[in-house]
Amino acid sequence: MFELMRSISIDAGDGRAAGVAFVPAEHPLFADHFPGRPLLPGSLILELAAQVAGPLAEEFVKTQLDLERWAILGMVRDARFLQPVFLPASLEITAVISRSQSSNVSTNVTVAMDGERVMQAELVMMMLESSDEWTAAIEARNERLARWKEASS
Amino acid sequence: MSARDTSAEVAMLVRQTLALPESEPILPEQLFFYDLGFTSMDLLDLLFRIEQHFQIEIPEGTIYHLARGDLAEAEFAEDAVLTEAGRQRLMALLYDTPPELFPARVHATTLPRFCTVGAITRLVDHKLACSS
Repeated sequence: MFELMRSISIDAGDGRAAGVAFVPAEHPLFADHFPGRPLLPGSLILELAAQVAGPLAEEFVKTQLDLERWAILGMVRDARFLQPVFLPASLEITAVISRSQSSNVSTNVTVAMDGERVMQAELVMMMLESSDEWTAAIEARNERLARWKEASS
Repeated sequence: MSARDTSAEVAMLVRQTLALPESEPILPEQLFFYDLGFTSMDLLDLLFRIEQHFQIEIPEGTIYHLARGDLAEAEFAEDAVLTEAGRQRLMALLYDTPPELFPARVHATTLPRFCTVGAITRLVDHKLACSS
């Protein structure tokens, strides 16, 4: 399984979350990106940031708005890729809520490597009501999330 | 037109949202969803741009609350569908939207779909007036 997150901690009351991801160089996904010089694609950096921002948004609307929602990345605004991320890499990801409504939550995310920012963006998470066909996906995600939280405690 | 020409500034933000060239005319009577091909994400993006540019807040449900005005909630909508009185209130607020576009049953979550560029400009003027 291609699972890159290692740990996550969420403080919904403060609207903040932090996570750590480790990306190996050997995964076949990076064989062509690029041969002999594996580089993490920007889209995957954004995905890792969304894996921190999403659970934060869900816990935030649950505790602050009393809503059960499933966060899906809807919009990326003002993304800046500040440094190339050569692999292997350990990434520190932070997300801070900047705006919240029942239908969407905006988060300012920062991804750093060895203390240096490599990416910053505003991620808008769309907060959807889950339906029955999502049950298995939500359970699997929650199982992963519980492991990541355990690893950070 | 307001002193700061809100209309031109909103048109500029619409162009930025859709990545249109400056030469592309954006007219007050154009409907976001019907004429400009907006999606709901485009509208959200535009509202963020408007909030940032004008330093105002447009929370979700703004069109709903402006249309409802002093009408009691139960008289305005039932089970998230506008009553006939609610529908009339909405049509009065969005007076430059062709009346035939409003279906008999207007769901409360769809109200931004009926907005023209002019309606959003009026909303911005209203918010600016409230904040000054």
